[in-house]
Amino acid sequence: MTSQLEVPLAMAEMLLQHEIEKFVNLEALLIDDRRFEEWLDLFSDDVHYWMPTRTVRYEREIHREHSRPDEAAHFDENKRGLEERVARIRSGMAWAEDPPSRTRHLFTNVMVEAGGEPDEYQVRNNFLLYRGRLQREVDIFVGVREDVVRRSPEAEHGWLIARRTVTLDQSVLLAKNLSIFF
Amino acid sequence: MHPDISSLVDTRNGTLDPRIFVDEEIYKLELKNVFARSWLFLAHDSQLAKPGEYITTFMGEDPVIVARQKDGSVAAFMNQCRHRGMRLCRADLGKTKNFSCTYHGWTYDLGGRLVNVPSEDDAYRNGIDKAEWGAIKVTQLATYKGFIFGNWDPTAPPLTEYLGDFTWYFDAFVDRCEGGLEVIGGSHKWVFPANWKFAAEQFCSDMYHVPISHASAALALAPDDMEADAEIFPLDGTLGRQFTSPWGHGTGFFTESGDVLGLIVGREPGEWFQGGNPEVVDRLGTHRALNMRGMHATIFPNFSFLPGINTMRVWHPKGPNEMEVWAWTVVDSSAPPEVRERLRIGNLRTFSAGGMLEQDDGENWSEIQQVLRGHVARQTPLNAQMGLGLDWDDDPNFPGRVNRVYCETAARGFYGRWAQMLSGASWDELAVTPPLESVRQS
Repeated sequence: MTSQLEVPLAMAEMLLQHEIEKFVNLEALLIDDRRFEEWLDLFSDDVHYWMPTRTVRYEREIHREHSRPDEAAHFDENKRGLEERVARIRSGMAWAEDPPSRTRHLFTNVMVEAGGEPDEYQVRNNFLLYRGRLQREVDIFVGVREDVVRRSPEAEHGWLIARRTVTLDQSVLLAKNLSIFF
Repeated sequence: MHPDISSLVDTRNGTLDPRIFVDEEIYKLELKNVFARSWLFLAHDSQLAKPGEYITTFMGEDPVIVARQKDGSVAAFMNQCRHRGMRLCRADLGKTKNFSCTYHGWTYDLGGRLVNVPSEDDAYRNGIDKAEWGAIKVTQLATYKGFIFGNWDPTAPPLTEYLGDFTWYFDAFVDRCEGGLEVIGGSHKWVFPANWKFAAEQFCSDMYHVPISHASAALALAPDDMEADAEIFPLDGTLGRQFTSPWGHGTGFFTESGDVLGLIVGREPGEWFQGGNPEVVDRLGTHRALNMRGMHATIFPNFSFLPGINTMRVWHPKGPNEMEVWAWTVVDSSAPPEVRERLRIGNLRTFSAGGMLEQDDGENWSEIQQVLRGHVARQTPLNAQMGLGLDWDDDPNFPGRVNRVYCETAARGFYGRWAQMLSGASWDELAVTPPLESVRQS
């Protein structure tokens, strides 16, 4: 049976979980509604946004499946890099995104743990990202995002994403491009 | 040449029959007469540094294993067991002592020799000659300055002859410093719903698309103090050259430009590549070290690269309507860490599945492929006439057959050689029959 002391702790954990899930859902809304400038504001100025590539390896070498930080990556962005990608989409000449993709981010399995700094948390969530383009192009991306989020009272939504590692569950990408955000 | 094939590519009038991009029969013939006879890029030495290291790749649609041997040499052989045809190795890369088939356990050594057959004495008491049942070796294997190529055709000329007059241009990419190039670890691989030739041709012969297709990326990538304008990226075709080789290879570049590399991959790599590094000038001479800027190139048929940006890639055919792109970033082995890092980042932001330039290339190719489903579209020739009849072969600075940078000379050379090979012309015939008519003397 839960002791009286543990009840407030469990309540605090639930509140934190609730708060972070709301933040995760907000991010999905901003991307899917193509409110990319507002989406950029969710990231800290020192953000690192990384999606390593993935090779097919045998079990004995599976620890080398993901590319290392100094190797190839699908995304390896700082804030400026993310801003450039948004600027490109807004240019009116980004033909791979004009007409735009229709995206829907579904997040689940949101898990929150204390982070390295007192006001930081490690947030892990699985995603399914559906992308429809033009008349009949469809891509489905599945994977996991591992974020470090930082409690930031001065930020509009109270939180900032300080680090993101995206792992896709594909090796050879079955999509013709990654012109969208994860 | 078979009459049906000779009418597919008209280099004299500069037209292409769209069926070369969609027809199943042409595709089968292409695998046989182009891919199984051409020198195909397999791997770079730096990807197989130690004995036992291997990668798996494709030659056309045939899977092959490329492995570093104990004595430091390289072997390449079909990734297929000789017993029932199972794929021997299902990983992309790794390190091993041998390749053991997971069906019945036939085991091959690093060189593809069959070394063990389970229960041999009992199961094959009728006898089996293991020496006869090794994995099928790639017929010809050769390395040029770290680049390993393979060819299935025993009658094909040696790699150095095949590279031919393109070698001078290839060296501007691969021979800039004593240690040559190295591949930065990891690769980009993705599926693309378009015929491989659209990509190979564009890297061979197309500077013309850049200001339109890549307008958004140029705007987004430009540093705050740089304008993506005609000073950086010349729109005057006299400020560059395009080259075509009778072997189908091609390249194009600016002889004068602003910091076009700085715009795309960052100032450090731009300065490193075209800043007048004395070792590079010494090895290559002034024109190759300083006056080949923003270069694109394809080694026939499907190996392409962008010197300076330093992406290289193979366009693997996967049927007439699909290719798989395999791309890597390479760097001069003598480059300092900051140049290496900027190239790594610069490439993934520009030339990868998520790259801001590559995305827009892909949009063009996949749309063409869709349009070519139509009957009328398949009957309508495509125009490859840019700069037709205006080539010259006596340029003071650039050897071989050249034209202005905005032209389709190299595309005509690429498709012309492709059609000659498709027709089944022998290497003896190919050696004396260039795909393009002689340069018209003015």
